[in-house]
Amino acid sequence: MIPAATEQIDERTGTAPAIKREYSYQIENSAVPNRVERFLQAFESILRHTNYKALLDMYARTHTRCGRCASTCQVYQATGDPKDIPCYRTTQILKIYQRYFTFGGWLKGLALGNGYLKESDIDDLIESVYRCTACRRCTLECPMGVDHALITHLGRYILSEMRLQPKALQVSCREQLEGKTGNTSAVPLPALVNNLEFLAEEIEEEKGVKLEFPVDREGVEYVFFCPVSDYLMEAETLMGNALILHAMGEGDNWTIGSKNYDAINYGLFYSDWILERNIERLIDEVRRLKGRTILIGECGHASRSAKQFVPVFGGKQAPRVVNCVELAHQKFKEGKLRFDSSLIKERVTYHDPCNLARSGWIVDQPRELLRAIAKNYVEMTPSGTKNYCCGGGGGTVSIDEMHDFRMEVIGKTKAEQLKATGADIVVAPCANCKKQLREIIDHYDLSMELMGLHDLLYKTVIL
Amino acid sequence: MESFLSFAKGPLFAVTFTFMILGLLRHVYLQSTQVLQCIRRLSYRKINIGTNLKETVRWMAPVGHIYHHRPFVSTTSFVFHIGLLAVPVFLVDHIALWTGSLGLWWPGLPPLAADILTLVTIAAGIILLGVRVLDRDASALSAPQDYFLLVALVVPFLSGFMAFHPSLNPLTYNAMLLIHVLSAEFAFVLLPTTKLSHCVLFPFDRFSSEIFWRMPAGAGEKVAHELHGEEVRV
Repeated sequence: MIPAATEQIDERTGTAPAIKREYSYQIENSAVPNRVERFLQAFESILRHTNYKALLDMYARTHTRCGRCASTCQVYQATGDPKDIPCYRTTQILKIYQRYFTFGGWLKGLALGNGYLKESDIDDLIESVYRCTACRRCTLECPMGVDHALITHLGRYILSEMRLQPKALQVSCREQLEGKTGNTSAVPLPALVNNLEFLAEEIEEEKGVKLEFPVDREGVEYVFFCPVSDYLMEAETLMGNALILHAMGEGDNWTIGSKNYDAINYGLFYSDWILERNIERLIDEVRRLKGRTILIGECGHASRSAKQFVPVFGGKQAPRVVNCVELAHQKFKEGKLRFDSSLIKERVTYHDPCNLARSGWIVDQPRELLRAIAKNYVEMTPSGTKNYCCGGGGGTVSIDEMHDFRMEVIGKTKAEQLKATGADIVVAPCANCKKQLREIIDHYDLSMELMGLHDLLYKTVIL
Repeated sequence: MESFLSFAKGPLFAVTFTFMILGLLRHVYLQSTQVLQCIRRLSYRKINIGTNLKETVRWMAPVGHIYHHRPFVSTTSFVFHIGLLAVPVFLVDHIALWTGSLGLWWPGLPPLAADILTLVTIAAGIILLGVRVLDRDASALSAPQDYFLLVALVVPFLSGFMAFHPSLNPLTYNAMLLIHVLSAEFAFVLLPTTKLSHCVLFPFDRFSSEIFWRMPAGAGEKVAHELHGEEVRV
């Protein structure tokens, strides 16, 4: 166990001041004492119980520091600060690993008398890992295939186990896993149910279709989870979700669960422990309702974490995971969904959320849908698996302290990319991207509107 | 000098070459067992071997990738790697040594092609060294080892070329040959002991994203309890 906090600081490791950078991100509760000792304890414990040791051994022997990732990193391209190069960050963590947890590194440290972890290194690391948006563009271009985002995830995980984590993420996760409401935005169930009734009335008024947002219907195929913030902020996307499910003939075959209606999983960004607990909650809710498939709404990180980790933590009997865009596309190809292509006259472009597109999972599906509903569809450059991050990935969009950094540094590339399309509507099927892109459009005064994919499907679907 | 040269060409070569082969095999063995152990800790073990292998092979001949970013450096690096592998293995004089000692034979490069490839490799090595020194991104990342390894790899090529082209050789043939043999043997030792071991370990990295992004079930909880006790909160 980590010893009780004291103000004593190891003299040998020194107490160099925090490294301040322009738009510096400092974690609010970074005044944790004995940080060097705690860091090493947390690192050791993680190495003991997880698979990261083999990964670090492998990367320590193969990462050649060629610098190719520098040319792909959106953050580094914007800041020009070498500390933002993905490989630099990976090297920082590998150095600590080698110095303290390998025989060769220990011997080298002993011989040269250096390489000790210092307080300032921890400041540097905190800054470094939370400036990365975990977009994984660098992994695509690394000749060795080093996954810098995974190492960033590990860095954040170690820090979170010594309680150095962004308060915004921690507070949300605490409410979600240990709070009364069980969701990140603390939306109580009665408020949710009221909201759903209101949305159903809206749909009836606008589309003349009487449908319901079912809660706790048992034995259905799809149990629907969206980021809970959508219930507050993305009403049109949700109406789209319900209407499209109705139009594809699955209106009676889905439900929202009352015990868990939040797909958000910030564990993907910073903690394996939180990641696993959230995945278990998804699986538990599907089992409680005797459902078969986890249907994730318009959310990149929630989709990726469910798709990737439900089989990992759920074992052989784990439910299937489908993203709503994927499902809509499948039903469209089967001829169960039809759209009116004459309604959307504006120029439309599509932003690929990193967590959906980078691995090649959801790239063509939304495009086929958009081409069916919008005659004037244009691509961004680059797009698809190589698309730029919105600038709010990796949890950064939830951290208010990073607003200026997100807008003026990382978001600048995205703003230029958006502007170059000349589009009137930018479509992004991800709650994080939506928030960041709206802020970018506002900040850079771009003359375009941001919409979810299901917002457009809602407008154009033929019932 | 001659007795030292024959020692370097004989027993020392045998020892360092064997050290290299065994060292690299050890890396492959350890890495494979370590990765297999990791997979055993997972409950979901389906690995997409086909896609990962395809990616690995695609990056071995990175024709489609090279022009995306830093085309000059990437091309130079690619050429450098081809030279590093092809010249020592397919030089007729090297093959003759294997034929003389162990009776092994395989087709070699025509002398002119070997000369050109050697020069290209040396030039590529020097350019890459220049990039490490001058390029802002690469120099920010580079550690002393990175410069040293490049020099250590170029020296055997340079000395070999000079030994076989007397007009370019400021020393005697035997002296230059000794430098060539010793520097090559030094490179043999470096291969398994430094990050040059990526020559055999690189295929493992491509599988890493798929394997290591899966965490063993329950590991997070064990870590949290160990560090903060049973009553731990988020």
